[in-house]
Amino acid sequence: MIYDFVMSLLGVLLILYVISFTLYLVRVFKGPTIPDRVLAIDSLGYDLAAFMVILSVYLRSPLIAVCALSLSLWIFVLDIYVAKYLEAREMGD
Amino acid sequence: MIDLILIVLGLILVIIGVFCDFVGAIGLIRLPNFFTRLHAATVGAIGGAVIPMLGAALIALGYEPLGETRFILAGVAFTTSLITMVLAQAGSHALARAAYRARAAPLQPIIYDALSEKNGKGEKQST
Repeated sequence: MIYDFVMSLLGVLLILYVISFTLYLVRVFKGPTIPDRVLAIDSLGYDLAAFMVILSVYLRSPLIAVCALSLSLWIFVLDIYVAKYLEAREMGD
Repeated sequence: MIDLILIVLGLILVIIGVFCDFVGAIGLIRLPNFFTRLHAATVGAIGGAVIPMLGAALIALGYEPLGETRFILAGVAFTTSLITMVLAQAGSHALARAAYRARAAPLQPIIYDALSEKNGKGEKQST
């Protein structure tokens, strides 16, 4: 009884997550400079990792949560790579 | 009884996470500058990703029909939340430092720039 209620509530929360992903995508497509876009993709990636963890609880399969672990590491690599690229371009001037 | 407490606590954490996620998304759209959008992005990363992962770990621990796989799910969710809590701040800090030094983002709505005075460049890039 309580489990059905918890699962239906988690379904509603997952739909709310998808709505907030579209709000992040607005900034990704509209962002005037490169750091804006990278920052929006950054938040989008971390929230996608949280979405995958909740989805794995909702679908009762632990395989999706393992993908979230590597996704959150990949987002950090993207940050460091873009920061190095921007600073190297500044050194060249 | 302890299962019910874990599930309710996890659900409260996930609802807080969804609220912080919406606050971060709206702030990322509405704020005028890159360095102010950084604040909204950090709200979206810490409040919107770390806290719901902790809540998902608690729900998975208390969710009885999963069987033995609930310990795997709880462990992976807890590890991912710890890694995100450390790496989100380091990544956004590196990005902000690079954007300031390379002048890749405009500093337009600005009140006071202490870093340019410290570097000895004066008023060349304030205002």
